[in-house]
Amino acid sequence: MKIEKANVGNLTNFEVFDFLRTRGATSDPMGCIGSVSPSECKVFEYLSGSPACMQTRESVNEFLIKADKFKFITSFEKLNIVNSTPTVMPALYATIKDCDKRIAKEEEQIAKENQLEEDQLQELLELVKEIFPQPAEEQEELSQ
Amino acid sequence: MFYLSQVEQNLKMPPHLLKPSLLDGELEKGIRGELEKRFLDKVITNLGLCISVYDIQSFEGGFIFPGDDGCATYKVRCRLVMFQPFVGEVIVGKIESCDEFGLQVSLGFFSDIRIPERFMVQPCHRGEDGIWVWQFKVDNEEFQYSLDIDEEIRFRVASVKYPPTPVEQSENSEPFSPMEITGYINGDGLGLVSWW
Repeated sequence: MKIEKANVGNLTNFEVFDFLRTRGATSDPMGCIGSVSPSECKVFEYLSGSPACMQTRESVNEFLIKADKFKFITSFEKLNIVNSTPTVMPALYATIKDCDKRIAKEEEQIAKENQLEEDQLQELLELVKEIFPQPAEEQEELSQ
Repeated sequence: MFYLSQVEQNLKMPPHLLKPSLLDGELEKGIRGELEKRFLDKVITNLGLCISVYDIQSFEGGFIFPGDDGCATYKVRCRLVMFQPFVGEVIVGKIESCDEFGLQVSLGFFSDIRIPERFMVQPCHRGEDGIWVWQFKVDNEEFQYSLDIDEEIRFRVASVKYPPTPVEQSENSEPFSPMEITGYINGDGLGLVSWW
């Protein structure tokens, strides 16, 4: 076996989920015998429990375009955010490495440092919530 | 977590698979089946775990070499979907078990994820029932959060290792894992999903 190119491109969880779905995988483990292998079924099952199952190609593209204006996050972090769709600030902190230090460094010259950091992060969080709504929260509200 | 990898493989197509494929004009399907048998669910060092065959870009050849039991050898170029989280990626998994060294987390399709004690939320200790507990102190009040089995846990990948295949293994040793992921949960937003 010869590895021609180790990394042709990163895939978001949504893309893998969509690919497996078009190949015939379903959430029912008995239903996908024949079209996909059991191990592919397990991956599909895992992805069905993640935020990827609620996403669409358009929503992911929309997020990537709109997140472009946030210069402090790298493309890996955008991938992280799309895969995990954080809804609270600590979850967003987790996806961005050393975020406090990075934003403070960029905006060093400007007086209201702390406020700017939080504003940008808050804006990013709002963008995530707007583009990737969480159905789990709605269910919780209903049960309450 | 996932990415595409382009590989070239000299694939031997056994005659019993070749006949129906050629007659139906579905050689590609037959080749795909053999590729899946070869790569699916296998770990390729430094590339990761192969999840699926994404597509077949080209195949050529079909020569039968002497001594090959009639197998036709095709040179196939295809793209594989590989699972290999990058360092720093945040993943949600389920706690499968815990021992004195730390936690073991599973994603369903991949279970060799360990969170050693030094990478766990501090301070924490192991209770009498074996479950790890995080002691969180705020304003003189102490809260105990336990990391129970089957709970969803968010962790950040610290490293991905490919230990070399052991030549000999004693009977009582643990099954060999070709790909090991180490994670850490001592950070904002990490740990049990229910905590945040």
